[in-house]
Amino acid sequence: MLLAVLIANFEGNILVERFNGVPAEERLHWRSFLVKLGADNLKGVKNEELLVASHRSVYIVYTVLGDVSIFVVGKDEYDELALAEAIFVISSALKDVCGKPPTERLFLDKYGKICLCLDEIVWKGLLENTDKERIKRLVRLKPPTEF
Amino acid sequence: MAQPLVKKDDDRDDEEYSPFLGIEKGAVLQEARVFNDPQLDARRCSQVITKLLYLLNQGETFTKIEATEVFFSVTKLFQSRDIGLRRMVYLMIKELSPSADEVIIVTSSLMKDMNSRTDMYRANAIRVLCRITDGTLLTQIERYLKQAIVDKNPVVASAALVSGIHLLQTNPEIVKRWSNEVQEAVQSRAALVQFHALALLHQIRQNDRLAVSKLVTSLTKGTVRSPLAQCLLIRYTSQVIRESGVNTQTGDRPFYDYLEGCLRHKAEMVIFEAARAITVLSGVTTRELTPAITVLQLFLSSSKPVLRFAAVRTLNKVAMTHPMAVTNCNIDMESLISDQNRSIATLAITTLLKTGNESSVDRLMKQITNFMSDIADEFKIVVVDAIRSLCLKFPLKYRSLMNFLSNILREEGGFEYKKAIVDSIVILIRDIPDAKESGLLHLCEFIEDCEFTYLSTQILHFLGNEGPKTSDPSKYIRYIYNRVILENATVRASAVSTLAKFGAMIDSLKPRIFILLRRCLFDNDDEVRDRATLYLNTLGGDGSVVETDKDVKEFLFGSLDIPLTNMETSLKNYIQNPSEEPFDINSVPKEVKSQPLVEKKAPGKKPTGLGAPPTGPTSTADTYERILSSIPEFTSFGKLFKSSAPVELTEAETEYAVNVVKHIFDRHVVFQYNCTNTIPEQLLENVFVIVDASEAEEFSEVGSKPLKSLPYDTPGQTFVAFEKPEGVPAVGKFSNMLRFTVKEVVDTSTGEAEDDGVEDEYQLEDFEVVAADYMVKVGVSNFRNAWESMGPDFERIDEYGLGPRESLAEAVSTVINLLGMQPCEGTEVVPSNSRSHSCLLSGLYIGNMKVLVRLSFGIDASKEVAMKLAVRSEDENVSDTIHDIVASG
Repeated sequence: MLLAVLIANFEGNILVERFNGVPAEERLHWRSFLVKLGADNLKGVKNEELLVASHRSVYIVYTVLGDVSIFVVGKDEYDELALAEAIFVISSALKDVCGKPPTERLFLDKYGKICLCLDEIVWKGLLENTDKERIKRLVRLKPPTEF
Repeated sequence: MAQPLVKKDDDRDDEEYSPFLGIEKGAVLQEARVFNDPQLDARRCSQVITKLLYLLNQGETFTKIEATEVFFSVTKLFQSRDIGLRRMVYLMIKELSPSADEVIIVTSSLMKDMNSRTDMYRANAIRVLCRITDGTLLTQIERYLKQAIVDKNPVVASAALVSGIHLLQTNPEIVKRWSNEVQEAVQSRAALVQFHALALLHQIRQNDRLAVSKLVTSLTKGTVRSPLAQCLLIRYTSQVIRESGVNTQTGDRPFYDYLEGCLRHKAEMVIFEAARAITVLSGVTTRELTPAITVLQLFLSSSKPVLRFAAVRTLNKVAMTHPMAVTNCNIDMESLISDQNRSIATLAITTLLKTGNESSVDRLMKQITNFMSDIADEFKIVVVDAIRSLCLKFPLKYRSLMNFLSNILREEGGFEYKKAIVDSIVILIRDIPDAKESGLLHLCEFIEDCEFTYLSTQILHFLGNEGPKTSDPSKYIRYIYNRVILENATVRASAVSTLAKFGAMIDSLKPRIFILLRRCLFDNDDEVRDRATLYLNTLGGDGSVVETDKDVKEFLFGSLDIPLTNMETSLKNYIQNPSEEPFDINSVPKEVKSQPLVEKKAPGKKPTGLGAPPTGPTSTADTYERILSSIPEFTSFGKLFKSSAPVELTEAETEYAVNVVKHIFDRHVVFQYNCTNTIPEQLLENVFVIVDASEAEEFSEVGSKPLKSLPYDTPGQTFVAFEKPEGVPAVGKFSNMLRFTVKEVVDTSTGEAEDDGVEDEYQLEDFEVVAADYMVKVGVSNFRNAWESMGPDFERIDEYGLGPRESLAEAVSTVINLLGMQPCEGTEVVPSNSRSHSCLLSGLYIGNMKVLVRLSFGIDASKEVAMKLAVRSEDENVSDTIHDIVASG
């Protein structure tokens, strides 16, 4: 299960937070844990360089893209490698929507589109789409090109 | 919670301001009224939905009324033909998760979209419908979903398949009917469709071994189009291998070639999955393991942290079972100790600690010392645990490891970390007698400057039990008395008790201890003064050097044989009903009332130091002893020799959960049945177990103790006792039937039940008393010394043929389990390529007889295993018995 996708700005403010199968009372804990993890480790990291951590039986892969940091959390079959795949799709889609690694302002300007992309990529904790070209078309309700 | 995005830097232009600056739920809900406009402004509506999504993504919640209102307005947007808006509407409905009675409003619109000629409407409508649907609606749309699974458009097919995966949790019987369509989708040319179909098909058929095996056979020969699907296939293959075993004639393992082939796949994800699958094969040989370890080793020096992490994590697991196989990677792993990523560095260290040999310990410790200063406490705890295991494996290295632990104990750190270190030192003191004196001194030095009251009191308690047994107990007194002078009241009280224990055990120290205790009479805390007075009186504080009374020692060192909850209740009652009579501790009932059981702890969790030393007040054995001694029928059985781990007698998630603990005494065994009632509507009364011992001839039932009442979710115990011949390791099989009176609960909140009940019974599984139940695992720090000092007087040697076995490791572990003894010096691990192996075991046999065993195994080409068994013990009968156990096992 892909337990969480969280996007935050550098001050640690949450921009997007989507949990799957995480009880409401644990979400706050996860949020602060991830934000702290980012604050401790993401300084000076290059765009899209992946960092990895494990906490209890759960894996976390996270990175920086422009002004935002992206965290994905998973367990069981969503181990560090599957999460790396997921975060790669998410960052490609973000770059695609924003045209470049986004500034915070740009990210918020494209907020609706970004939500649609995330909806195409992860659905209730399962990875659904992985190809950015296809995602780009799907959010505009266009069928995929290969079809 | 997110803060409003206000930035203070005035130099920057309008990029400063968030489009959501000052966003407020009430205002957005007002704005949502535009959804009701007769002339819909699609752009404006999309903006409002975006704001609603922003609020939801920030963790904002809508009340039921707000959500309903927004939901009804959103449904109006189906009138718009704007494509972008429609996509937003789909997402918004999913986010709002409308309740069952509201769903009806959108179903017709969604059903219409589901049959739309626009593919993308179909895909999205399926996803939304499946998210909000219930069973009845699902049967209505099932036909469309089955069609969608084989739809030409991959997005539609994927939408239906992923929906199927989710729906399988709630409506399995419906989704299982789709297996033909799903099977067809597995052959799809679209990579993602195949991936989703494979996942769903496996979930549908996961309990049908033959079907899974067929699926794996056909796909491993066919084409798998995406790395993701390939990973799934590897996992399922691994499952099939686990269930099928090795081909005994050729020694080949089915599908191994497929897994090995995947090690050369171009996607890293697939390579790792295959390598992991190979490393967890049961009884994996070196030949099988080598290619997997080789690829993992290459990834250790990858530039990508994720790959390094994945590799070292896998190798760390391999090191637990096949440490020798990983030693080739040691050099690469040593360079990872300085990895910037602390998770990687910690994994590398703990792996090295498992694979290192005795000679590399010192070098490794040097490297770790530098590393410890800059990692977080949670990682440090992992390292401390690994060092403890290493020390138990190489007891001769205790000096350097103990020094390391004491050094890190002096450095900064939080409570959990310090507790882990202290626990480790305590375990080492317990298991390695040579380490006792230095370990105790390290602990003494630690409490000189310890900020944690809990740890100080625990250490003082431990010191009181162990200190008097050392060669020079007087050297600890200074540390203990310093606590009386310098610490808070809790620690002072603890220190007073510890001083008293020294006084009680060592007569020569008594006069000096009395002087110190008398000083405590002037303490400003009641508890400290009271304790000092009490101990001075019980020890005979007149200063004469007399031997301490047995009762006094019992009082000081024995544990309170009254359940604390009972004590608390009695004391509360006493305070509420004031009386002239002093409180009488004998009036406190000793019966244990449905207390949560110690064995409910996480399975496999090792007992930790201070929490559970053998003499500590909270150990499992101690709890059992207390429970048993509170039952008058069993008090005549003498001292409890051993309690087994709980054996489950019911399957998981049945109405009544029952397990049994076998308590072994010299001439008796007592079965403790731990029962849990998992039905809230039932109250069970007069619960007992009828045991049929017809297949256990040497046992005869002598008594039982039923459980008066077993309310919902509150564990309780019932007991049955048997007599058996003394000193004979009698074995046998017992069948069990749970009998009780069921009463229906009228009010589940109070547990109030009807007066009348019905008698009922419930069949439990059988269990056996085996030879290993008469053996306690007790390790020795230096096997050779112990073996030599035991002498050859009662040595018995014989050879056995164990017949064809799966592997040498399997034969070794079977014999260890048969005897129930403690493997020493890590000899339970069999290097995977070896043809012979020696294993050292130690234990305490019933009657408190020390037993040492040397096993030498050899395996030939046809997997025939021969074993030489040498036993030394304190009694020749015991040595013979060990041979009997092996001969009849």
